[in-house]
Amino acid sequence: MGKNKKQKSHLPLRLNILFFIIFLLFSGLILQLGVVQILFGMDAQEELDRTERVTSATPVPRGKMYDRNGELVVDNKAEFAITYTPKKHVQPEDNVEIAEKLTEYIQMDTDSVTKRNKQDYWIIKNKQEAYERLTDEEKELSDQDQYYVMLENITDDELESFTEKELEVMAIKRELDKAYELTPHIIQYDDITVEEYMVIGENLHNLPGINVTTDWERDYLFEGTFANYLGRITSQQQGIPQTDEQYFLARNYSRNDRVGRSGIEKEYELYLNGNKEIKEHITDSSGTVIDSNIIREGQRGKDLILSVDMELQQRLDKIVQEEVKTAVQKHPGKNRWFRHAVAVLMNPKTGEVLATSGQQYNPSEKGEDEFTDVSHKVLYDTYLPGSTVKGATVLAGLDSGEIRPGEVIVDRPLEIKGSDKKSSWTRLGPVNDIDAIKRSSNVYMFFIAMQMGGENNYQPGKAINYNSKAYTEMRNYFQQFGLGAKTGIDFPYEENMEASPPTGYGRAAQFLDMAIGQYENYTAIQLAQYISTIANDGYRMKPYLVKQIHNSSKGDQLGPLYKVNEPTILNKIEMKDTYLNRVQEGMRQAFQESGGTGYRYFADAEYNPAGKTGTAEAFYWDNETKTLHTDVNNYNLVGYAPFDEPEVAFAVMAPYLGTGDYPVHHRIGRRALDTYFELKEERLKGSSEDESGEESEEDQSEDE
Amino acid sequence: MENYSKEKYPLDSFLITIIVALIAISCFTLYTLQDFLPGDISGIKFSIRQIIWFLVGSMGVAAIMILDFDWYRKIAWGIYGFGVFLLAGLFFLPWSSTLNGATRWYEIAGQTIQPSEFMKVFFVVGLAHMITSHNEKWTKKNLTYDLVLLAKLLAMSLPPFVLIALQPDLGSALVIVSITGFLTLISGIRWRTLLTIFGLAFGTLAVIVVLYLTNTERFIALLMDSPFDHVAYRIQAWQNPHLYSDGSAMQAIKSMLAIGSGQLFGKGIMGFEVYIPERHTDMIFTAVAEQFGFIGASVVIVLYFLMIYRIIKIALDSKDPFGTYLCVGMVGLFSYQIFQNIGMSVQLLPLTGIPLPFLSYGGTSLLVYMAAIGLVLNIHSRKREFMFESEQ
Repeated sequence: MGKNKKQKSHLPLRLNILFFIIFLLFSGLILQLGVVQILFGMDAQEELDRTERVTSATPVPRGKMYDRNGELVVDNKAEFAITYTPKKHVQPEDNVEIAEKLTEYIQMDTDSVTKRNKQDYWIIKNKQEAYERLTDEEKELSDQDQYYVMLENITDDELESFTEKELEVMAIKRELDKAYELTPHIIQYDDITVEEYMVIGENLHNLPGINVTTDWERDYLFEGTFANYLGRITSQQQGIPQTDEQYFLARNYSRNDRVGRSGIEKEYELYLNGNKEIKEHITDSSGTVIDSNIIREGQRGKDLILSVDMELQQRLDKIVQEEVKTAVQKHPGKNRWFRHAVAVLMNPKTGEVLATSGQQYNPSEKGEDEFTDVSHKVLYDTYLPGSTVKGATVLAGLDSGEIRPGEVIVDRPLEIKGSDKKSSWTRLGPVNDIDAIKRSSNVYMFFIAMQMGGENNYQPGKAINYNSKAYTEMRNYFQQFGLGAKTGIDFPYEENMEASPPTGYGRAAQFLDMAIGQYENYTAIQLAQYISTIANDGYRMKPYLVKQIHNSSKGDQLGPLYKVNEPTILNKIEMKDTYLNRVQEGMRQAFQESGGTGYRYFADAEYNPAGKTGTAEAFYWDNETKTLHTDVNNYNLVGYAPFDEPEVAFAVMAPYLGTGDYPVHHRIGRRALDTYFELKEERLKGSSEDESGEESEEDQSEDE
Repeated sequence: MENYSKEKYPLDSFLITIIVALIAISCFTLYTLQDFLPGDISGIKFSIRQIIWFLVGSMGVAAIMILDFDWYRKIAWGIYGFGVFLLAGLFFLPWSSTLNGATRWYEIAGQTIQPSEFMKVFFVVGLAHMITSHNEKWTKKNLTYDLVLLAKLLAMSLPPFVLIALQPDLGSALVIVSITGFLTLISGIRWRTLLTIFGLAFGTLAVIVVLYLTNTERFIALLMDSPFDHVAYRIQAWQNPHLYSDGSAMQAIKSMLAIGSGQLFGKGIMGFEVYIPERHTDMIFTAVAEQFGFIGASVVIVLYFLMIYRIIKIALDSKDPFGTYLCVGMVGLFSYQIFQNIGMSVQLLPLTGIPLPFLSYGGTSLLVYMAAIGLVLNIHSRKREFMFESEQ
């Protein structure tokens, strides 16, 4: 025991030292605790109370479209949808977890799964393994570079070994990853069944961030009719077009927003789009949402009233289809290159487009549709207009003083050195300016052109003078009617062919051809604007497809008027009214007087029509055989009615016909006008029977 | 006689009261935390389980107290060897399991067992026995005595330290260091040697700290190369938690927020505003500090201090040096764990996964600490016997 005593002598001191050290350490703890809790306690509480405001935007349905009579054309269809609203600071692992749960309820197409999706998934599932595969040097790389190396280290076998279930998880995760924090994102857009919808609804408590809701889908009630003009919107997958990304992002769009991709949907995107519902979420510093407030109520997109009459549109489509088909079937050989015709009806006084049609007949038995809607060709395709432009030529002659009103010129074949014989369709003899339009004299036009070019002394067999300024002058006249100028229609695209001035040895002859519509190509809408300008006493109106824009309303009723697309005068023809009256008269006679080129087809019409025919020597390029065919003509027709108080103008173009034996252009033109006035009659009767007292646009002029 | 027998095996009611108080605080805190735990474990009634473990542990204490603590010297080498074997076995035995990149557990019949927890007590017993034996053999103190004892201390502490550090579990490895350090201090090594050793240790530490502060990046890069790369992350996260606001740094930030916002008086029962992962185990102190503020947290620290004071008191009173060494070993174990756990919660130290004795939920660890307390109580209950004997 003595041994023990001796040994223990050092212990009390050392134990006390030990105790003192521990005392110091624990005092340190309490001191630090005091610093943390008392000195900086308030700061911590403030930090905790510091809330963060995050806003989210929920898309709203697009605006609807109605036709001019209030008929609903484009609507929104409600659809079941599953949304995912990620919490703040969501991690890829969280999305995998939710995706795994979701696979139990929904079927996801796994085709969209990319190699990268598989790689990411593999790493999430095999973190440790992925890290261990890195060499020591690679472990020094930045996190991001490390990740790329990890991606590369995954073998193909590992990527191939996923089960169908896992692939589905990846496909769903892919969707979930698109969602932005606190903003609802619609997943599995298509084909969700009611059962799936119900089951998910019952299991929402297992699926954080998932919700069931209704989404909308665009519903085009008239299906294909007028579809090229209504346009289409992008899908949520496509989102905003990459080319216009900055434009849209600057206007508060999200990348996965559905936007107008073509047609009116695109042109009026900013109106149709509406205001998203903006919610403000207040989160604490851990990212948990404490409170949500609606800052701005969502507002459905504005509704559009179209200028188009959908009933007329449908009937016009049918007419064009029938006529094109008949023309092909009657002369299958000669008309072998003829497949389509375009027609457009507009109000010459306002520029409202009433109907626009382009129909292609597909006679082959390859199982394609019998007809293809090519109505976009009204704006997109140019054709040689032929004699339809003679009204502009005569006005150019009158206004420039090359001819006097009533001046008579003897129509006979012209022989100009360096050119083929130039003549009218038949030797017409002496004609004045009115006759020249009525009977479509080429020679009258040639004389106007020759004189504009500086040749006042035509002698058969000799060359003619030609001053190239004449082309500019003529073109300037034409452009005042919209020929060779953009019409200004409210549509994302319209074609305008920029022809180059005639050059070379035959340039004088080419200029003469311009005077009879054999030089520059025009679209049907340009021709329609040209004839409207003549009908409208020289006022060139901008054609438009949308008449009015209304604010959205809750119910089915139209909301308050937001904006009216007023008729726009682009320019006024700068010449005496008497000149214009002579051209109008020529066009009236062409349709109504014996000897007029349209007399046979329009003489018995009761609505006092006027117009101009035109046959252009065209050529057809056959892309399959790589051959050019010159044995075709474009049969065109422009016109308007009633003559005194025009309310409808039209242009019909039927390109590449081998024969005019079946007058497809006249038949379409006549039937279109007939239909227009029939429909007007029906509507008038209908509304007077209803005694609704509502006056439609057509009611305002009631001469017929 | 009745009186005598009572006196013969007196229980230290002071220490027992403290332990019971700590367990009560633990169960109460676990109960208040119940609703704030993550979904997958929120169904488990941790407070009830903790009580059950406590009762099991109490029986263990009773069992430990049956035998005279001197008897444990006989099995000291055995349990030390067994502990080292279990630690080594993690690397080759089939039942070892790896979680989050660390191989720390055995998984047997669905239960996980962490051998490093047991090793702490086994190590104390082994080391205390070694020092006692050494002192019994070497009566004369000189440099040889010092060096041989130091060599033995090193030889015994290195295997468990290395094996635990390799798991990797630096927190538990440092417990071994702490125990060794405390026992070295009182082992009987002369002051001059001791001061040299501690001087060298502090010197090295100081150099490392200076190196870190002056060449932070190279230092961290060096650590990243070693198997202790996670240490580098922890250190960085500790120094700049806002730059590393994920994982452990996030935990540090949230822990500071929770504790700090508790302020002087706390937010009241269940007044939790901050979500912290692992709050029922390693981060339980934050739950106390958030609910009861500086006052409540200080009470807990004072309780721990009293507990350690009491164990040191028992060490002093023990007439058997083995008992003293055992007690001091336990002091090393507890004081380090308490200081490290609370220290990391208040950002005094980097984060390491180490439980707060008696408060943190955890079956294995509670049993181990109860066993440690059992040994201390055993020593206390036998002190009179020695006094009586020596008086005779």
